[in-house]
Amino acid sequence: MVNAIKGVFISCDIPMAQYIINMNASVPASDKFIIHILDSTHMFVQPQVEQMIRSQIAKFREDNTYVKPN
Amino acid sequence: MPEVRIIAKNFMDMVASMPAMKLDKLYENGFICEAILRSLPPLGKKYVLQLLHIDVPVAAKLLEEWVLPDGYTKHRVAIDRLVQLRVFVEAVDRKNDKTYKLNPTFQKSLQKLLVHGGTLPREPMPSNITVRLPTLDDLEAYALQQWECFLLQLISSSLVEKPSNISSSLMKVFQRRLLSQRDKEAPKLTESGFQFLLMETNAQLWYIIREYISNSEERGVDAADLISFMLELSFHVIGEAYNINSLTDFQRSIIRDLADLGLVKLQQGRKESWFIPTKLATNLSVSLADSSSRKEGFVVVETNFRVYAYSTSRLHCEILRLFSKVEYQLPNLIVGAITKESLYNAFENGITAEQIISFLQQNAHPRVADRTPTVPENVTDQIRLWESDLNRVEMTEAYYYDEFPSRDVFEGACDTAREWNGLLWEDSKKMHMVVKTGVHTYVREYLRSQK
Repeated sequence: MVNAIKGVFISCDIPMAQYIINMNASVPASDKFIIHILDSTHMFVQPQVEQMIRSQIAKFREDNTYVKPN
Repeated sequence: MPEVRIIAKNFMDMVASMPAMKLDKLYENGFICEAILRSLPPLGKKYVLQLLHIDVPVAAKLLEEWVLPDGYTKHRVAIDRLVQLRVFVEAVDRKNDKTYKLNPTFQKSLQKLLVHGGTLPREPMPSNITVRLPTLDDLEAYALQQWECFLLQLISSSLVEKPSNISSSLMKVFQRRLLSQRDKEAPKLTESGFQFLLMETNAQLWYIIREYISNSEERGVDAADLISFMLELSFHVIGEAYNINSLTDFQRSIIRDLADLGLVKLQQGRKESWFIPTKLATNLSVSLADSSSRKEGFVVVETNFRVYAYSTSRLHCEILRLFSKVEYQLPNLIVGAITKESLYNAFENGITAEQIISFLQQNAHPRVADRTPTVPENVTDQIRLWESDLNRVEMTEAYYYDEFPSRDVFEGACDTAREWNGLLWEDSKKMHMVVKTGVHTYVREYLRSQK
């Protein structure tokens, strides 16, 4: 019998995929959100985590920039 | 992300969208007919001129024979446009064939124009009355200054020292889609507002005029009258003075608004007063695509991401602030830097990298304008890279399918999803696939039918 799961399909580059996998590994077991890792650049995750992932990535990006103080 | 674009096309699309009754009234004016004729695609012009003196309907088949087979799409485009503008009246004759005939009002006006030549309803005033007419350069400077003042007032009324006379209700209309105001907060530019600021002057003007016209009914002004006056205005000669008394009451009431926008300059002599059309007015009937007016630019971008803008205008400063960090301001020079943060601000506001780059290129200082590339490549590349950095992760709501009973069913399901353009990913070995949410129902239907 064919099985269908609702979720969010993520397509990104390899480093970003690793970052997301790492993010998934660092949360407690009950909050794990990756359903399937499809290949090195694609994965399938829980439908409700889209915003969470986006804000995490934005924070990661900000941590890596330095603003010259005025 | 939904893309908000300001569609700025031309007058003719606006004319085409008017109800038939109004159009026929517009076509009584020879100038409108001429402007329409100018705006048509080449084949359209040919058809109009060929049918100009034919009073009976012409079969559509006959028209088709005039073009070679490979010109057929152009033929269709021309005919569609003509019908849309109601220049051609479509009818069906006794043999059930389609026929075309020129709109009688349009035909009469154009015939008259051709034979008698176009004469404006008013003559330029003799030069002994109109002393101290501005030179063409002065006039252009005036128009641009007026326009800039208007734009500044549009984005923030506190920035202007001497506000123009445009009524605040009219200003609100213009701001409606460019600014958003939450209660008690200062109004903020919307996404289309930011894009508006980076547009070319002609495109901006057209946007404002379009708002002005589409709002005219609310102010109790007939849109047809407004359009016909503006088109008529665009046939006046730049820099010549025309007597204000030759205008109708209605036209006199709107010419002040046009003066505030910089379309005309009003002057007063001892007894008479007159208006002088500027370049902005005469560009109105030209479609935006072929207006290639280049202003003198003012921006120099260096390879170290520094931006030097030789400008005294506060508007330019505000525009630069949209995407760069303004570091210091001298009387005639603004120095800024394009940084990652300043660009992220811009991207958040809905400005795209391409818009920023094209703004920098279009406004390049004459010293760098003839260099290629005008803006250093490392800067443009970096702007694009920073933008793409924001879009490194793409997320799509989807459904994941597995445990297909057989390969046939799997491949059928893949094909179904592909047909609807919704297949995101498949693994034919393990027989897994991911489809967009929108396509889920079609795939489910297919799977049901397979049972």
